[in-house]
Amino acid sequence: MPDLSAFADPGFLAVQCLNGLTQAMFLFLIASGLSLIFGVLGVLNFAHGSLYMLGAYLSYTIASWFVGSPATFWVALVLGSIGVALVGGIIESVFLRPVYRREELEQLLVTYALVLIISDLVKLAWGAENRSGSRPALLAGSVDIAGRDFPTYNLFVLAVGPLVALGLWLLLRRTQFGRLVRAAANDREMVGVVGVNVKGLFTGVFMLGAWLGGLGGGLAAPIGAIFPGMDVEIIVESFIVVVVGGMGSLGGTLLGALIIGQLNAFGILFFPRFAIVFVYVLMAVVLVIRPWGLLGRPVTRG
Amino acid sequence: MERRWVVRAVAGAALLAVPLVLPQFYLLLSVEILIMGLFAIGFNVLMGYAGMVSFGHAAFFGVGAYTCGLLLKKTEAPFVVAFLAAPVVAVVVAAVIGYFCVRLTRIYFSMLTLAFSQIVWATAHKWYSLTGGDNGLVGVPVPPWLIGPRTFYGFVAGVSLIVVAVLWRIMEAPFGRTLLAIRENAERAEFVGINVKRTQLTAFALSGAVSGLAGGMFALFTRGAFPEYAFWTKSAEVLIMTLLGGPYVFLGPALGAGILIVLNSVVTSYTEYWPLVLGIILLALIYVFPGGVTRIFLGWRGAGGPAGASRA
Amino acid sequence: MKRFTAVAGTVLSGLLILWSALPLPAQAQQEPIKIGVIYGLGGAAAPYTKPAITGHELAVDEINAKGGLLGRKLQLVIRDDQSKPDVGIREARDLILKEKVDFLMGVIHSGVALGISEVAKEYKKLYLNTIAKTAALTEEKGHRYVFRSASNTAIEGRAAAILMADKPFKRYAVIGPDYEYGHRMVDDFIGHLKTLKPGVQVVAEAWPKFGERDFTAHVNALLQAKPDMVYSSLWGGDAIAFVKQAKPYGFFTKTQYMNIAAADLDVVVPLGAETPEGIWGSSNYAFYHPDTPANREFVAKYKAKANDLPPAGAFFGYVGTYFLAEAIRKAKSADTEKVIDALEGLTIETPIGPLTMRAYDHQATKGQYWGRLKRVPEFPFPIMGDVQLIGGEKTLRPVDEIKALRGAK
Repeated sequence: MPDLSAFADPGFLAVQCLNGLTQAMFLFLIASGLSLIFGVLGVLNFAHGSLYMLGAYLSYTIASWFVGSPATFWVALVLGSIGVALVGGIIESVFLRPVYRREELEQLLVTYALVLIISDLVKLAWGAENRSGSRPALLAGSVDIAGRDFPTYNLFVLAVGPLVALGLWLLLRRTQFGRLVRAAANDREMVGVVGVNVKGLFTGVFMLGAWLGGLGGGLAAPIGAIFPGMDVEIIVESFIVVVVGGMGSLGGTLLGALIIGQLNAFGILFFPRFAIVFVYVLMAVVLVIRPWGLLGRPVTRG
Repeated sequence: MERRWVVRAVAGAALLAVPLVLPQFYLLLSVEILIMGLFAIGFNVLMGYAGMVSFGHAAFFGVGAYTCGLLLKKTEAPFVVAFLAAPVVAVVVAAVIGYFCVRLTRIYFSMLTLAFSQIVWATAHKWYSLTGGDNGLVGVPVPPWLIGPRTFYGFVAGVSLIVVAVLWRIMEAPFGRTLLAIRENAERAEFVGINVKRTQLTAFALSGAVSGLAGGMFALFTRGAFPEYAFWTKSAEVLIMTLLGGPYVFLGPALGAGILIVLNSVVTSYTEYWPLVLGIILLALIYVFPGGVTRIFLGWRGAGGPAGASRA
Repeated sequence: MKRFTAVAGTVLSGLLILWSALPLPAQAQQEPIKIGVIYGLGGAAAPYTKPAITGHELAVDEINAKGGLLGRKLQLVIRDDQSKPDVGIREARDLILKEKVDFLMGVIHSGVALGISEVAKEYKKLYLNTIAKTAALTEEKGHRYVFRSASNTAIEGRAAAILMADKPFKRYAVIGPDYEYGHRMVDDFIGHLKTLKPGVQVVAEAWPKFGERDFTAHVNALLQAKPDMVYSSLWGGDAIAFVKQAKPYGFFTKTQYMNIAAADLDVVVPLGAETPEGIWGSSNYAFYHPDTPANREFVAKYKAKANDLPPAGAFFGYVGTYFLAEAIRKAKSADTEKVIDALEGLTIETPIGPLTMRAYDHQATKGQYWGRLKRVPEFPFPIMGDVQLIGGEKTLRPVDEIKALRGAK
């Protein structure tokens, strides 16, 4: 029987809730890229985890070129994520463009093939040992919350989430690019017919999604291990967030991430030995009851 | 008509007899190809005929493996009972899972099959007292008469032949035709009076049963059952085999199984970068020979598929 | 249909026959002694298994340079089990039946090890496990044809318990990856500790999944229980991530922390200066301890070959190979049955001193090094300070208990 006396302690609850929120923001950042790509391009990008992994490796390597400077982390984060965006651009134009007209399964298989290839290429390029990045000095400490230490870095991630959400919202609602993206998500053919460069638009969207994934990887680099194989775990988590929230809906992704984050944070207190099964049960339940997710569009494909 | 069947039977028997003269390693490899080929053919009932792509078929394979393994290892059940229990338990599990899954379409169907199969995997992984957890259920006692590699091969070949023949009859009969019709246009099929959901569920259960039988044989073959047998990578394997061989041809998936297993065996003796090789093969499959080996290299236009032409 | 069958059948049969007729690599004048080596070469295992292979190769090169064994050279045939039991079983059969190896070694994944152990038993080949830790391999599932040159979960758990038996900590919290290895390490530790020091209690447990990315929820829950000491069976990337994430919660000032893998090179190197000092860490092998000529020599040889310091994996491969080689030498034969008899009870010299292969369960008396991590000027990563070796017979599960386990099955 788990010890529930902890639930009487508001300080503990506050920190645990913040832990769940931090996780949620992190997941949102990464899953939003997946959701965007699916919503606009209609492709479920299995290789999104690989882009995340590339983001971690790239920012780690770039940081190693600028050791000692206080700006290292920031430079590595920015350059690393942009690098991943460029890789995304190549992936989309070379590998995905030829299969847009094909069945969904074939598109998914292309992304799966890329997962296999990128994973081995990463192993070839960087070797198989574990690595880890470093937090910048500015974010390495902790703050006091309800009498407990809480990492400053986590507060940073907590802030990045809403910033990215806001940025995406502004991009999609207030810019020409965003208008085109939303139009293409609704009716791809029409957009092409009225003379928009759909190919370029799609590449742009994929690059944006890849950038988000790479950014997530760069943020993960200082607080965990970097190794080939880190692509698998994150893609499963991202899928589940997107399924729960609603594929193609950014608001849904945010909601899904919040739910998963808190579920992980508090679920382990009730069922410490069932962490591996939570997320699949949740996924199954959502798909059975409401397959298009909490905020997704009711399914018309079929 | 009769002569065609006799010729086919003889050709099939000749093909199946070949491994018996090969050195033991190749004989065992052929066993693996037969088992996975059966798994893939069963999988294709759902994929090629019904047009429903399952990402979670390893669940039934794993359930079959564990059922057979557990009964043999932990009970006094006779071999026949343990072996036949594999497809029986698998069909029940498939019926339950299928009930929920056939209400969905396309990517949502696929994701739900994945979710359920991961739950099966997690159960096998965690239920240590029953399954041995991630250590696996090892030391499954294969009956003495079955241990010899040639007898084992004969057993697997015989069972596979019977199951494939029965399945072929089913797919040639109205049931298979109905599935194809549903795949082409489910709405129209509904109009004609076909109970689409029930037919799909039947196909799902049938597919699960065959997969479970293959799983049971695999447990015998590896003398054990492991949670990995129910993991999504196993589902990906059978999917790739089916696509590689060609889902529009009844035996295509078996050919795909053969190709993939042989390739895996050869490539891994030279390099550790098999995933890279597999990824490239997959890309080639999609860009260069979609429809699989049977379509492109053998010119086999199966039933259904984009061309919808008749079979040779 | 007929044409399809004929064509496909001919092609496949032709390929198979051609392939089986392929000549094996050219033989030496005298047939070499072939050793099949199987490891998971990808994912989380790679930081252990890649150096292990280098360790095997180093040993083989040395032995061959001195004329080999019984006038024959040693030859390694290396395969990847992709961390999948069915692939491991296939590779083991390939090695035994096609490559016709004389012996099998390797494996890190416990499920694969158990699967291969069955294959070895069936074909009556000697399988010397070099890394996989599950105690089951030599305890309840042990048999004549399986040996282990590394430690196991029982040894490591018991060694940790012996270490803590005379320390003042009473409130323990435990955390481990949620699979058999993680659980056994904790169970064997707590179980043995309770016999040595009654009054110890477990105040909290955490079971993150293996490969977990976010430990913060677990960190908070563990701290809430106010333990004196947190015992962790996390390893590899998990061990790194946990330390990184726990530190800014003040974890290491609020409780003591002991981690089996903490002193492994693949953990301390990435952590580097961020490693908290004073945490209790252990390693299966440390290149800096014992500081004996034998160990220094091994380190120098490995550095020359791999241009890197030897991690625990390298030691596993090297020592495993030597156990086998010395047994062959003692038996004056490469015949499986004779080598098994020679290997039972055999003691060999290793870079860290003598190791013995216990005759009953075929388990080596490999103990565990424990120390408290501290930063030193010589290396950019921390090392164990005040190192103790907790080893020998007292860490192995007693033979009677194993007999009971085997009898009960």
